[in-house]
Amino acid sequence: MLQYYFLLGVRNLRRNPALTALMVLILAVGVAASISTLTILHVMSGNPIPHKSERLLVPMVDNGPAEGYAPGDERHDDQLSYRDAANFLASKVGDRRTAIYGVAGAVEPVRKDMSVFNAGGLALSHDFFVMFEVPFLHGQPWSAKDDAAGADVVVLSRKLAEKLYGDSNPVGQRLVMMGFPYQVVGVADTWNPVPRYHRVIGGSGAFGDADEYFIPFSSAIRHEASNNGSMNCSKQREPGFQALLDSECTWIQFWFEMHEASDRADLQNYLDAYAAEQRKLGRLKRAAPNMIYNVMEWLEQQKVVGNDNRVSAWLAFGFLLLCLVNTIGLLLAKFSVRAAEVGIRRALGASRREVFNQFLIESAVVGLAGGVLGLLFSLGALALIGQTSDRLQVVAHMDWPMLFITFAMAVGAAILAGLLPTWRACQITPAMQLKSQ
Amino acid sequence: MEIRPIFSALMRNKTGPLLVAIQVALSLAILANALHIVNVRQAVSARPSGIAAESDVLNLFAYSLKAGGHEEQLALQQAQTAALRAVPGVVSVARINQYPMSQSGNYSSITTSRSQLKKVAVTSLYMSGDSLIKTWGLKLVEGRDFTPADVWNVDETASKDYPDIIIITRALGRKLWPDASSYAGKVFYFGKGETARAVTVIGVVDSLQTPNAQVGPEGEFSSITPVRNTGWATSRYTVRAEPGQIERVTKDAEEALRKLENQQVVIESTTMDEHRADRYRADRALAWMLIAVSVLLLLVTASGVVGMASLWVTQRRKQIGVRRALGARRIDILRYFVTENVMITSAGIASGLLGALALNHLLVSKFEMERLPVAYLLAGAGLFWLLGIAAVYGPAWRAASISPALATRSA
Repeated sequence: MLQYYFLLGVRNLRRNPALTALMVLILAVGVAASISTLTILHVMSGNPIPHKSERLLVPMVDNGPAEGYAPGDERHDDQLSYRDAANFLASKVGDRRTAIYGVAGAVEPVRKDMSVFNAGGLALSHDFFVMFEVPFLHGQPWSAKDDAAGADVVVLSRKLAEKLYGDSNPVGQRLVMMGFPYQVVGVADTWNPVPRYHRVIGGSGAFGDADEYFIPFSSAIRHEASNNGSMNCSKQREPGFQALLDSECTWIQFWFEMHEASDRADLQNYLDAYAAEQRKLGRLKRAAPNMIYNVMEWLEQQKVVGNDNRVSAWLAFGFLLLCLVNTIGLLLAKFSVRAAEVGIRRALGASRREVFNQFLIESAVVGLAGGVLGLLFSLGALALIGQTSDRLQVVAHMDWPMLFITFAMAVGAAILAGLLPTWRACQITPAMQLKSQ
Repeated sequence: MEIRPIFSALMRNKTGPLLVAIQVALSLAILANALHIVNVRQAVSARPSGIAAESDVLNLFAYSLKAGGHEEQLALQQAQTAALRAVPGVVSVARINQYPMSQSGNYSSITTSRSQLKKVAVTSLYMSGDSLIKTWGLKLVEGRDFTPADVWNVDETASKDYPDIIIITRALGRKLWPDASSYAGKVFYFGKGETARAVTVIGVVDSLQTPNAQVGPEGEFSSITPVRNTGWATSRYTVRAEPGQIERVTKDAEEALRKLENQQVVIESTTMDEHRADRYRADRALAWMLIAVSVLLLLVTASGVVGMASLWVTQRRKQIGVRRALGARRIDILRYFVTENVMITSAGIASGLLGALALNHLLVSKFEMERLPVAYLLAGAGLFWLLGIAAVYGPAWRAASISPALATRSA
């Protein structure tokens, strides 16, 4: 019987074609608006590394000046000074550690037909690749020994490797970058997490372009590679790179990987002990609390999902609600002209329940049609949004859960909208209808 | 007028009118807020940067492979500046450290006395050995521009000395000395305490945005210092081209810089228009998305009102015929339906106004949006009244045109 009602519903789409088309269109537009904004919000606020996001932790100490500070004041900065980053790197806390800062400079291709160009990458420790699960196409990360020695080795991104060497494996090649010869030890396969949680501050931001290469932190420091990112100094510092390293300027980001999520308390103890020790040395004068953030806490703290996206989603859902109210009205109109049909069916012995089923399934068919069209619309809208910028391209793509939600929403919305008209259709008394004929 | 009978008739069949009223209320609440956000964002992204005729300004970034020491870098800068000036169609060239709206630059805390513990403002410092007032067409409202004699050559790897004179924007002056009518000759400090560096204001420009072009007044807390600095292998230039020449000038300028260093240099160029587009991309995207939703909103609501009005008119053909037969004029029928519709939309508008205020309260408190001016509510209310009347007019007129004999005949 359900199947019969379904086919009946499909056939009834052709009845009142203008009204039905309007209904399907309005439902589709409402669904498309909410799905596109929801997709963007969903991708932006997603967990980029769910299975270990609780174990990847950002340590934060406040090294701002004591003058004018009152407990509870905002932190000086969300990055670390070189001194703190170097000390954390040297600590034995957690399974893995990495400091990160942005570098950029001229790359001099070996090929003579290509002119020098500017490329941006990251300076970090070899642990980074395992911590953030960077896939490798060729070669492997550099070793702990390279880190200790400040070796001039580089891991290229797949894009940069292909630009420089085509399809061949460049491991072992030498490449002049930022004025120094670097040896290629590996090529990372395409990797650009959404959001770019490993380096939200500075560079291309949370939804920007992929890093083009990776070099050891110690090598970048040794070559005095300047920071390509944001830097915050609370007072004037002496000139020169060594003075920058000695200063309280903050410009480095840091991550610990703990063995278990519960090891967070160990890290907190370490941080508190570290800060107390530094205070004895005359640093960290604010005595502010030492903070730890896991991946999702960090993204929340850095306001990675902007208010604008939340507002768009809210307003789009308001619009969907309007479309639903509209659909209720149109369904009422569509069903009300069929009072006579209901009267006859009821007189011939159909129960209210049967009539209810039939009309509800008919509403669901409208919803299904609206869902399919809405899905097409939202694909179009997302493509349009993606075209406006590369940064939005990353977030404006549909995934399977969203696809399922689209359908569920459209059909659910239509059934919801069909409830009132269906109920009204069931209230028809057969006698009245038959008499008026 | 005949409001009471219309009202009683409405009360007998509430569902349809209620749905229309809800639609009007929802639309009004969303539309007023959406259009307000659109207006705020467009006003923000259209704010002047302080640079005159922005589309004629080109920015160049040069990364030299063989930069050398302080003296070599100075010589290179001079050669690069001369090469750019020689490009036909170039009006003016300045070496610079940062650009308005480029979203990356230098910021420092400043105070107005050495005894202050808290910063008074954060200023963004433009450094140039050339005249920015000339190249960017900034409007000098007080004091004077720098002369070549004011310019310091600073090796940033060895010195932290800076000139003790500065040009500021009017907005920064207002922030530092709220009660003063003139800022030239005043002194302020970079940093805090005894080591803070004193600078004297010698000129005031009308406006110049910071690289981040923040939305509040701090978006114009800029200052300019006459410094030609070295210490990096990179240089940035800003170039004013003759009107309409920017594309050709860009090509020729890039070529001139490459030739100067025998291709041993990376050159990247951007225009102020690109910086503006990048800076306000998110604002514009949000505005467009809200405009799209608003247009659809109006279409959906209008179609809903038209649909329901047509349905009621059809349902009441018989009633219309009887009234016409009993002597009602066409205008009476028309007035009946229009009045009925105005009553329904008015109910919707009344709840829509409350809804708009509630939604705005939510947006202000939860998402740091702006408060909704009353004008939007009034305009929204007027719009939906007109929309309602326009939507019902067609079906009502058609109903009124039916001859009584035809209408009373049973279907």
